[in-house]
Amino acid sequence: MPLTGTRDLTPLVSLAPTVPSLDVEQWELPGAQILQLMYEIDDSAMTSLIPQALHPTIPPTLLFVVTRVPESPVGPYVLAEVRVGCRSGARPRAFLARGYCDSADAIEALGQRWGYPLRQADVRLAKRYDRVDATVTVEGRTVLDMSLVNPEPISGGDIQYLANLNLARVVRSGVEAPRLIQVDPDYVFHTADRGRPRLNAFDADAWELPGANPYHPVSASFAVADITMPNLRYLVDPAKSPLEAVERIGAN
Amino acid sequence: MKFGIFFEISVPRPWGPDTEYQVYQNCLEQVRLADELGFDQVWAVEHHFLEEYSHCSAPEVFLTAAAMITKNIRIGRGIVVCVPQFNNPIKAAEVAATMDIVSGGRLEFGTGRSATWTELGGFGAYPDETKKTWDEWVRVIPKMWTQERFRYEGRAFSMPQRAVLPKPYQKPHPPMWVAVTSPGTELDAAERGMGSLGLTFGGFAEQEKKIAEYRRRIKYCDPVGEFVNEQVNTVNFLFCHEDLEYGAKTGQRLAGTFNYLAEQLLAARQAYPTRSYPSLGLLPALRREATSAPEGKIPEGLTIGDPDRIVEVIKKWESIGVDRINFLLNAIETIPQEEVLASMRLFAKEVMPKFAEKSTPVAASAGGAN
Repeated sequence: MPLTGTRDLTPLVSLAPTVPSLDVEQWELPGAQILQLMYEIDDSAMTSLIPQALHPTIPPTLLFVVTRVPESPVGPYVLAEVRVGCRSGARPRAFLARGYCDSADAIEALGQRWGYPLRQADVRLAKRYDRVDATVTVEGRTVLDMSLVNPEPISGGDIQYLANLNLARVVRSGVEAPRLIQVDPDYVFHTADRGRPRLNAFDADAWELPGANPYHPVSASFAVADITMPNLRYLVDPAKSPLEAVERIGAN
Repeated sequence: MKFGIFFEISVPRPWGPDTEYQVYQNCLEQVRLADELGFDQVWAVEHHFLEEYSHCSAPEVFLTAAAMITKNIRIGRGIVVCVPQFNNPIKAAEVAATMDIVSGGRLEFGTGRSATWTELGGFGAYPDETKKTWDEWVRVIPKMWTQERFRYEGRAFSMPQRAVLPKPYQKPHPPMWVAVTSPGTELDAAERGMGSLGLTFGGFAEQEKKIAEYRRRIKYCDPVGEFVNEQVNTVNFLFCHEDLEYGAKTGQRLAGTFNYLAEQLLAARQAYPTRSYPSLGLLPALRREATSAPEGKIPEGLTIGDPDRIVEVIKKWESIGVDRINFLLNAIETIPQEEVLASMRLFAKEVMPKFAEKSTPVAASAGGAN
């Protein structure tokens, strides 16, 4: 059977947000700008970045995503994620160990509702006609600098975004346990482009991805879309095997 | 209705020194038995880098070995990846002609373009280009086979005048097929007068409509070869057992394992935004079908269970216009080899006679002279 992850998430759990309730209402986020790059990574980190509940993709990949949200219930924010492409059983997913956001209110709300494990940073996204640039700076240090170069229009339907699996501490009946929270937003696209991916700087440790070496560019896309942040439907127990790890919320 | 077997050649981890050898030997044993039992065809895929799912990167070698240990079964190259980073059209024509000669005129020639980033990215191929290069190749390859000398100036491929040798044993040339996974590719096949390889599933009603459209369109085709190969060839899972419950349960395990392995790979459209790949590839409809039944039910279109159920399912496929069914027999050796062979024997004894007919190859004839 396929390879499975080997990562012990214990050191990350204490840093993960607490989700006090799984009954989360949707958010509508109109006019969001989304820059996504995909890179293949060296197989030395193929299994070490994800827990045993997940399979790595073949080949292993990282997804770099920066989203500018101009309007939300907690005001505007810019969110940056570097996610590991993976499979939860047979389902395509992306594991998030650490992200960054420029708004303290958004960090708290996204963490409590959807389990986003976020830290504060200066996150910037700049759309030009010849390129789209994004940077993430933490205490004066650039931990991500990426671009889409030479955008050309495509259909939004040609872009696939993977559902997140966010590491969080879930509280149920007063008991707290580490879980991966599946977050699968809906997107209604207004415009979409693709172009050449360029990764200018990436500090793997700052994203809790030790050993990740993105060496081979795959694709880059930029879209403007209305995003609906979803109700929670599935959890994954990171300590179980892939075939036993998925739990439908409310099934028990 | 004709029956065949279909190989991905999936190899389970852990990969010991003999694992691939043993899986290949098992597959060859299945081919030998299929020939003895009267199966009409054996197909083998061309896949690269697809860990566990398919270790069949040189199907021309495997199929030549298959041809050497069999007498009647037809040899399906399924498929030649018509993408220049993977193959070359001259070489593809030469290899196919050689296979046709050494097999005594038993080659079926499948074409396609790959559907995973795992493969396309591995070869540095550009996903937007694959449909275009496929279309160019399927037009030039039959001309290389039938013209004494051939020259061509095209978009992605050109050559000065040369004799592409040898020529196929079947005259005018082997039947040509297109692998159909993306929606609409069955119509590409029809418009070019090619057989549709793998067109099934998604429900009988939906497929009946697609097959009817294929039949309607092929009447007005502009054939790429010297003759029209109007046939709908499908893929299914086979596990046949006297006990319905055991047969269905084992067959569903086979289908589930196949599906699970395929999902670990990176489909082209998951990695690269392009209109060129509207579906996920790797027999997606077959995979959907494998998991589409309600809990405790057998998916309606799968050929698993006891002989009576399998006969019923095949009659349904036959009634909506399917000409051939190729069976996946195993996935990462999840079914012991002895049970696979027993399933094939039971199928041949109890199911095949219900669909017996005189088999006639589609190619006009086989003969020695060029």
